[in-house]
Amino acid sequence: MGLLSSFTDEIVYYKTYVKNYKNIIQMPIRHGPIQTYNNLKKYPWLWQLAKVNRLLDIVTRGRSGNYRKASAAVVEKIVPSLMSLLDNININTDRLVLHEDMVPPEIISAMGLTTWMSELLGILLPMVDSHSVEKYIDIAENAGIPSDVCSLPKTTMGIILNSEVPPVNAILSSNSPCDGGMASYQLIKNKLKIPMFQLDVPYNFYNDNAVEYFTNELKKMISWLEEHTPGKMDWDRLREICEERNRMTEYELELWEIIRRRPAPIAAEAVFLSHLWCFNITPGDPSGTALFKYLVELANENVKKEIAAIPNEKYRAVLWNPPFLHFIDLFSWAEQQYGLSVIIDSMSYNRQPFIDTKSEDSMLKGLAHNIMTGPMARHTRGPAENYFNDMFYMYTYFDLDMILIAGHIGCKNTAALNGILREKCRKKGIPLLIIDYDLSDPRVVTHDGIIQQFDRFMENIMKERRL
Amino acid sequence: MQNKYYAGCDIGSTTGKAVILNSDGVKGMAVCASEIDPEKTAIKVLEMACKKIDDINDPKDISYIVGTGYGRREVPFANENISEITCHAMGAFTCQPDTRTIIDIGGQDVKAISVGDNGEVIDFSMNDKCAAGTGRFFEMMAHIFRMDLTQFSELSLEAKKIIPVTSQCSVFAETEVITLLAKRKKAAEIAAGIQASVAKRCFTLLKKTGITPLITITGGCSKNRGLIKALEKKLRVSIYSLELDPQLMGAYGAAIIAKKNKETTI
Repeated sequence: MGLLSSFTDEIVYYKTYVKNYKNIIQMPIRHGPIQTYNNLKKYPWLWQLAKVNRLLDIVTRGRSGNYRKASAAVVEKIVPSLMSLLDNININTDRLVLHEDMVPPEIISAMGLTTWMSELLGILLPMVDSHSVEKYIDIAENAGIPSDVCSLPKTTMGIILNSEVPPVNAILSSNSPCDGGMASYQLIKNKLKIPMFQLDVPYNFYNDNAVEYFTNELKKMISWLEEHTPGKMDWDRLREICEERNRMTEYELELWEIIRRRPAPIAAEAVFLSHLWCFNITPGDPSGTALFKYLVELANENVKKEIAAIPNEKYRAVLWNPPFLHFIDLFSWAEQQYGLSVIIDSMSYNRQPFIDTKSEDSMLKGLAHNIMTGPMARHTRGPAENYFNDMFYMYTYFDLDMILIAGHIGCKNTAALNGILREKCRKKGIPLLIIDYDLSDPRVVTHDGIIQQFDRFMENIMKERRL
Repeated sequence: MQNKYYAGCDIGSTTGKAVILNSDGVKGMAVCASEIDPEKTAIKVLEMACKKIDDINDPKDISYIVGTGYGRREVPFANENISEITCHAMGAFTCQPDTRTIIDIGGQDVKAISVGDNGEVIDFSMNDKCAAGTGRFFEMMAHIFRMDLTQFSELSLEAKKIIPVTSQCSVFAETEVITLLAKRKKAAEIAAGIQASVAKRCFTLLKKTGITPLITITGGCSKNRGLIKALEKKLRVSIYSLELDPQLMGAYGAAIIAKKNKETTI
């Protein structure tokens, strides 16, 4: 049985590995040798992205059975969809729009435009290769960007300053989630010298006026896009996208119900990386719905057979803030060393997930609500209660044992909140680990430094030794 | 040998400490300067502590040894090693069971530890990235004043007022202090400024874990009277002075844990 299951696990890995490489190799075949050569010269980060299959190594390490299948399936979804995004840098480039992660890509896609989320490279590159964005951070800092600005916008700015951005024709940004992010778009606009539209996300969003205001902002954005790009709003297409997104959400909510049980049938990247990609990069893509359906099936099967994601689940944690981009290996490491499962993360958690598709206005209202109450706006802009209420709700709802904060030193907003959080957790008796690190730059706190903080917490607070 | 002995060995960056106890209490303790090799420090300090007890000649005669401190994994003969955070908490709590907050200032790091009703660690925060406020920092400062550490720690007690030393970094603080001395400012008042700046840094750490009385101080810098005065002023509470040498608190806590762990395994 043991031999058979490890053989099956190997098959899962190699099947996905080969499938992904086929997808990666097809890209230069589609574009031909000259275009590929030019692309590689112009966009050196393509070399790093060609190694995207490394993600498969990271997410399958030490995992077996359905949990391994679920983790591999997420990477199997990411790779072809990434390749298709990369195709956009050569085809119909007049339709390519650079957008910030707080701008709903559903609208851009419904207008027949292609998306290039400017933060995408800053997120994906360090996941594939820990040190891959250091160069861009240095470029931004050498150009005068203060070193204490968040390294994610610094990476984006470095890429722009080094003229490695695809041929985009318009920029969509917003006033969220932070000052660093917002300021980076002024630099991007000045450097690229193309028109930019900036969405104004209202601060106080718990009222109809705010929803109305932001819906109008989205309408203005659509008009602006129609004026500055070849895109035209196709409301039927937007409805299809939103309906597909809703279907995907239904499966995700089902998945969350399943992972509430102890021990969890699947966890970590299968829960958070799937959300990060499918909801933020490619919402409305039927393959995203298919992925979540598959994840639910795998989780249900594990529940039925009473199989846990990790056989020795001792602790369950919520991860707050974006995951450790340059060290996502941390989660499989924590599973193996301490029996600690990351059950859910703050970036995946959205309290208003469905979009009402009955009218054009209701769809825009749904998207407006989604952005305003989404994690990066809701948690980082205040009031502070948003941050704490969601966190403690999730702590109870998912039956967790600790809160794990990815304490990105570049995030001033959450740094301020974490002080209050410490006091609240102390009063509630909730173990809290705030790991000091930098989101994209491993030179600030090394992987060893992160592990040392983890070990200290587990030994002194949880009274736990490595397994 | 009728009575079983238990030891804690705390290998710090500046000094090695060992405490040996039995069911009657502490029987031997020692402090020595750290060698480059933590294993050599451990052997040296354990042997020094053993010499103070007639019953035992050698660390091998000790029933159970717990290693702690940054060099804890290098302690020979150790049955297990435990983080210094847990050991300091256990040591201070055993000495004074009302202890709820500990500030531990060692040679190269500073820790704030929040302690529960049973001596367990509830929370902690530490500065192990910056030399400012550590024992090494005080050594540097004492050197500028051409004093030894004891003289320096007493210096600020004579101050009538405090000259603020604003630099956060040890290197810049050194430059600032030299400049102040060159301006013929009073040495005691500069020293008071140095102590106040370290107290401020400790306060920031303590705020993270919560400042709940009773507060004690451990680690080598607990002998710095000027610092304790500055800390009490900043925290607006008095700091409890432990009966056992606070520098030995990590080793003492480790010895207590050694005894408990050995007894539970029997």
